[in-house]
Amino acid sequence: MFGFNGVTIAIVLFGIGLLGLIIRRDLVIKLLALGLVNSATILCLVSLGAQESGAPPILTPDMRAAIVDPLPQAIVLSAIVINFAILALALVFVMLLVERYHTTDSARIERESDTEEETWN
Amino acid sequence: MIAKRPARSRLRRPPGLVVVGVILVTVFCLVAIRDFDYAGARTSGSDVWVDVAHGTGAANVISSIYLGARLFDTILEVLVFSVAALGVRFYLSARGRSYEAELVPESHIVRVAVGVLLPPILLLGIYVLSYGHLSPGGGFSGGVIGASGLLFAAISLGTAHVSQRMRPPVLRWMEWSVLLGLIALAALPATCSLPLLADPLPAGRMGSLMSGGSIPLYNGLIGLKVFIGAWIVIKHFVDHRGEI
Amino acid sequence: MTARLVLLGLLPLTAALALLQRRRLYAIIGMALTSLLLASVFYLSQAPDVAITEAAIGAALVTFIYVLAIRRTGRLNVVASEVAGLMERVGDRIQGFEWEILDRFARRVGLDLSVQFVRIDEIEKVLLQRDADLGAGGLLPDAWDRRLLTSREHLPTARVAIVGPVSSAARDDESDRPSTPLVGHLTDVIDAVRDRRPIDTRLDLARFLVLSRHGLDGYRVVRDDIETGYAFVVAPHRADLYTQLEAMIEELRESGDLDRMAERYLT
Repeated sequence: MFGFNGVTIAIVLFGIGLLGLIIRRDLVIKLLALGLVNSATILCLVSLGAQESGAPPILTPDMRAAIVDPLPQAIVLSAIVINFAILALALVFVMLLVERYHTTDSARIERESDTEEETWN
Repeated sequence: MIAKRPARSRLRRPPGLVVVGVILVTVFCLVAIRDFDYAGARTSGSDVWVDVAHGTGAANVISSIYLGARLFDTILEVLVFSVAALGVRFYLSARGRSYEAELVPESHIVRVAVGVLLPPILLLGIYVLSYGHLSPGGGFSGGVIGASGLLFAAISLGTAHVSQRMRPPVLRWMEWSVLLGLIALAALPATCSLPLLADPLPAGRMGSLMSGGSIPLYNGLIGLKVFIGAWIVIKHFVDHRGEI
Repeated sequence: MTARLVLLGLLPLTAALALLQRRRLYAIIGMALTSLLLASVFYLSQAPDVAITEAAIGAALVTFIYVLAIRRTGRLNVVASEVAGLMERVGDRIQGFEWEILDRFARRVGLDLSVQFVRIDEIEKVLLQRDADLGAGGLLPDAWDRRLLTSREHLPTARVAIVGPVSSAARDDESDRPSTPLVGHLTDVIDAVRDRRPIDTRLDLARFLVLSRHGLDGYRVVRDDIETGYAFVVAPHRADLYTQLEAMIEELRESGDLDRMAERYLT
């Protein structure tokens, strides 16, 4: 029914990651699901340029086929490394949050932060 | 000051409606993309990029894109990386250290093993970095590989031991000067038209190590930056365990 | 080509399995596997650059960062007697005032909390045999073996003496009765009350509240005047835990958190 290619699987992975982000209550697993959403986006971009009959985008003297589209790969390359740094920062914020509320349960954190009222003195 | 308000009734659960909505949207996307024209979506003629690659002299077309045509995007992304590493350092160094130095095993075997394994890992990182304009890899991958080697050393020998070789003041200075050098190097062709400064390195013969114009230089600087930034992140994660 | 499709097909499977795990460590390992599969898919999609980068980052660095963040360097074995409000099983979780104190303590010292529920008279034996580090569950601080370290009381309580049924034969003076030093095991007492058997025991307030739901008419209930409180009992081979635990409870007491937690669980 649906074509079985990288873009379709990327959409499915995006959906799985989003569901995981919404359903699971543990903060660390929410972050993992967010990482999965990142990976799904990268897969989608790379798959848009993928062809079996193409060659990897390295110019060699004896090339038998035209290279695949190098543009999505170039876009995505530095994004992967940046994602790592941002994920590390997000994990630091989760650590701070856990230190404040002494639990990794997001529902409990929400409930406790609802019953607090911060006034700036 | 934190005061109390009366609590709401109970634990909030995600409404089933949201879950069903997400599933429906995913299925809708899958259906909508059924007749997508993949062949037409590919930028017609990767020949454009092949020409760009010949222009810069690098055999790795991707390198010549993100270090040639789209260089400024890459530099700003490196800036984002630096800021994220800075944020990790800022927030985690205010926490106390872990209670004991738990991760350091006391055996001689581990020290010898690290001594044997660490040089090849770093060498692999340097190789991937320096051949980034000829084969897959480049500054980002090379820096990350080197940083994972350092991570291996840090969890086996302790961050104190590794920090003796990579001292924090030197790292801090190097981080920002590498970034500055990167920006300056990128700005040169755009601002100066002096023949020597505008085109610092020649394109060279494609496929040889000395080719690719300034691309190996950029690779080296970016690799160094990513190496230092990832090491800072790792060091702070090893030292300051949270309460998760 | 088919290898690429097979790996692509495996991706949602591993991702879903990874995100459905109960334990965080398993979820992290599942995501590392997903990253590895993803890197292979990138390689087979004619994108070797992206494959190297994704393998180095997704499978190595990200996994390491997560594991470093959630690492615990050992286990805190707690042997406890189940008491509603202090330490009880609710479904597959454990809840309670004492449980929350111990959970915070375990997080702070980086240990995994693991609670084993036993009868209250077995706690001393388990601790002395070094099968556990800490005893909890509504324990009163007196009448433990001298070798065990008792913490300062973190929650005031009282003892209640239950004697009876009053209509039964022997009607001696209470002072002649030998007082059972330890509190009796709750389910035994509940069974005795239900069968109207004679008992002579003392219970702490939390257990007494549970018992009183079973109907205590016919039994004489006398509240002791002695001020006492619930405390933790630390095994002698973990004196380091004892000092850290005392320090933390003192902190909680001073900051008022102890009262807030008590309010939440015991009202």
